[in-house]
Amino acid sequence: MKRALPLYALCVYGFLHVPLVILGIFSFNASRFTVWQGFSLRWYQAALSDRDLLESSVNSLIIAAVSTVLATAIGTLAAYALWKGSSSAGPRPSRALSVSGNWLSASFYLSLVTPEIVTGVSLLAFFQWIFRFLNLRLGMHTVILAHIAFSVAYVVIVVMARLRTFDKTLEEAALDLGATEWSAFQQVTLPYLGPAIAAAAMLAFTVSIDDYVITSLVAGVDSQTLPMVIYALARRGVNPMLNAVSTLIVVALGAMVLLSERLRSA
Amino acid sequence: MNRRVFLTAVAGAACSRGLPRLNVYNWSDYVAPDTISNFEREFGVRVRYGTFESNQEMLAKVLSGNSGWDVVFPSADFVEPMRAMGLLQPVQHGWLPNLTSLDASFARPPWDPALQWSVPYMHGVTGIAYQKSVHPAPTAWADLWDERLRGRITMLDDPTEVLGACLKKLGHSLNATDPDILRQAQREAIRQRRLLRAYLNAEVRDQLVAGDVAAAQAWAVTAGQAIAAAPERLAFAFPSEGFARFADTMAILRESRRSELAHRFLNYLLRPEVAVSIVQATQTATANAAAHRLLPAALRDNPVLYPPPEVLARGEWFEPLSSAAQELRDRLWTEIKSS
Amino acid sequence: MSVFRSATRVRSMSRIRSIFAAPAAVLMIATLIIPLVIVAAYSTLTRGAYGGVELPWTLENYQRLIDPLYGAIFVRSFWIAGVSTLLCIALGFPLALFIARAGSRKNLYLSLVVLPFWTSFLIRTYAWMFLLRDTGLINSVLQAAGVIHQPLPMLYNDGAVILGLVYGYLPFAVLPLYATLERLDKSLFEAAADLGATPGSALLRVTIPLSAPGIRAAAILVFVPCLGTYLTSDLLGGSKTILLGNLVQNQFTTARDWPFGAAISILLLAIAMVLLLAARRSGEELL
Repeated sequence: MKRALPLYALCVYGFLHVPLVILGIFSFNASRFTVWQGFSLRWYQAALSDRDLLESSVNSLIIAAVSTVLATAIGTLAAYALWKGSSSAGPRPSRALSVSGNWLSASFYLSLVTPEIVTGVSLLAFFQWIFRFLNLRLGMHTVILAHIAFSVAYVVIVVMARLRTFDKTLEEAALDLGATEWSAFQQVTLPYLGPAIAAAAMLAFTVSIDDYVITSLVAGVDSQTLPMVIYALARRGVNPMLNAVSTLIVVALGAMVLLSERLRSA
Repeated sequence: MNRRVFLTAVAGAACSRGLPRLNVYNWSDYVAPDTISNFEREFGVRVRYGTFESNQEMLAKVLSGNSGWDVVFPSADFVEPMRAMGLLQPVQHGWLPNLTSLDASFARPPWDPALQWSVPYMHGVTGIAYQKSVHPAPTAWADLWDERLRGRITMLDDPTEVLGACLKKLGHSLNATDPDILRQAQREAIRQRRLLRAYLNAEVRDQLVAGDVAAAQAWAVTAGQAIAAAPERLAFAFPSEGFARFADTMAILRESRRSELAHRFLNYLLRPEVAVSIVQATQTATANAAAHRLLPAALRDNPVLYPPPEVLARGEWFEPLSSAAQELRDRLWTEIKSS
Repeated sequence: MSVFRSATRVRSMSRIRSIFAAPAAVLMIATLIIPLVIVAAYSTLTRGAYGGVELPWTLENYQRLIDPLYGAIFVRSFWIAGVSTLLCIALGFPLALFIARAGSRKNLYLSLVVLPFWTSFLIRTYAWMFLLRDTGLINSVLQAAGVIHQPLPMLYNDGAVILGLVYGYLPFAVLPLYATLERLDKSLFEAAADLGATPGSALLRVTIPLSAPGIRAAAILVFVPCLGTYLTSDLLGGSKTILLGNLVQNQFTTARDWPFGAAISILLLAIAMVLLLAARRSGEELL
């Protein structure tokens, strides 16, 4: 058993990583078929000069950046508000506030539990209904709004987890020393939350960059994202250019993750 | 490398923000690689070119009336329903001098006799694309129910096409509206499901070329492209029980504010030399007579794209369905896919 | 003095809590509550001639759900989600055990599990398309080695979908399992050993029962997304394998039957909520 476990772990790690490695290897294949015919960068050249891919990458980055910033801000503040209202921090709040706190945290649960496809169609229905009154259409703004909507719950989880390990008496001490609520939060709690906020932001970013289901439903004519282009290519069968794109994305995201892990433990 | 290409593309994307825009929504693989960029260069505009794989997909997007698209390419049988739903704007013949290049048989088509709402673009048939290695070669829809080909057959991902094939197999018209007849057709489709690999539209082309699929219900254009890529291995058959004829048209959405530019685009596509380059790239059958005359012999006499009249006589056009009939077919389709 | 301070403190705390919670509250109402209410409303309306919704109100959409014709989709969705969940837990448990016992290298091993999770789900699904096709890598290698002569049809079936789901959601199972296993009191195992238990029976009778909360959490975290999966069944199952998620997407796009799609969505949501509530009885809080 002692030796079996590490061997088993190796197999599972292989299962998890080998498909991506193979994808990467074949992205350098000169031939478009699954027969190795020499090393070549042609698929990378094709990928990097494809107008659709470039445009959608830019769109994806813009959407991810904006929604990450907003979702992290909104989520952090909400997590703090919920934590303050819970029994683990501070004196008992009024009934009205504890009820509102409850429904807010219930709505975060709901957001996490709702299948992606349901979130997507509900937002589509909502936007189409609203567009009857406003003269708008689906576009970058609807995608960004949708992304913020589903990212906030993730941010709240991550920040809450960290808040639970926070010693509330630190804030109380600051208050006793004459600080206002806001500066107590800003100068005592917020720095402590720093790593969690960074982790939450990264989670929100990755989730936004990778989303296909919800985005495809609420995107407009000018807001094609990278996953949408990848999906359209993948549907038509195996495309070596897709191997190149996939490898680039995996490497980029992987590097980002490793870098942030390094920063976090530093 | 192509650092130059990359930088040009990004710079291009950045600079073109100021140019007039046109949003075109077309079937995939229905223009030549340089058709759009030539248009952009000549008219100094920026075209956003999106593609769809089925009429239903296109209709779902434009139904809201504020989708953002200007020019769309509905199939002939969707023109009248779209007009009835108020989705199209009239086509101004005065702005389309190249309209005269159209083939006489498409000048007064049954779905839009005055060409008031649409302009014919390409046409074709739905038949069977297959690997020559299959013996005996498929010649009828019934051959797609062959047990020996289990797991290597595909049908189109389209209710009217699949039910159409089933209706033809049973000896009925494509446009049957009798619910009993349609249910019979549905039963055939459900029977076939176990044998199918997948429901695929134009995506089947790569799988035919790669050899994954043995026989597929396919549009002539898709089959033509596949055969061009692997002529020694693939062939096309016009089913003996009868088959569907389709035509795809160009139309301008009512929501479009760029009416004049849209007309310029339509006129551009009607140019014989542009149509010729599209046909050469995509292996389609064009409705443009002037272009047809300019085609190289290999394409002009291609039996897949331009079958002889006695074969074409077995074909039947799709007619637009009443909303009740459309709803029935959509429901039957959902049931087929869930069975 | 301190009582006065306390009272003002409570008031200003309520204010800051309201201010902080307000943006999130507005967001959740606008993008979650109202849309779901709209979907619920649509589920009781009728399909428009070519799409959209119109009156009258009806329960017909829910009645259609009970129709045995759709029963097959439900059964299949549950079955595929269930099998994938079991496989994720069965495969993930030993791995979580390994990481929990790994001592100083824990974080490294954990990162290795989490790393694929951070990369695109879509791409990871595509990777399996690449491997499983008739002319894909696995078939090419097997044919070249002479093991088989005809390509094995590994794509476009339930098995491919399950494989894709397990591959995608294994990290979701490993993380909560690891979290629970890591917190277990090591002295319990020593006690078991002292009492004469073999490593195998210690595993069966001590470790696994004690990690029940983690197993429950892993089960929920994997089952719910698998039940509503769309991408995996679309790309790996071919549009033949239609599951609940695909059915919903289909109704809202090409089939243009929004009320029916809405009814299925509400049902999916209800199932997910019931499962989550059932799992919460362990008292563990996510939020």
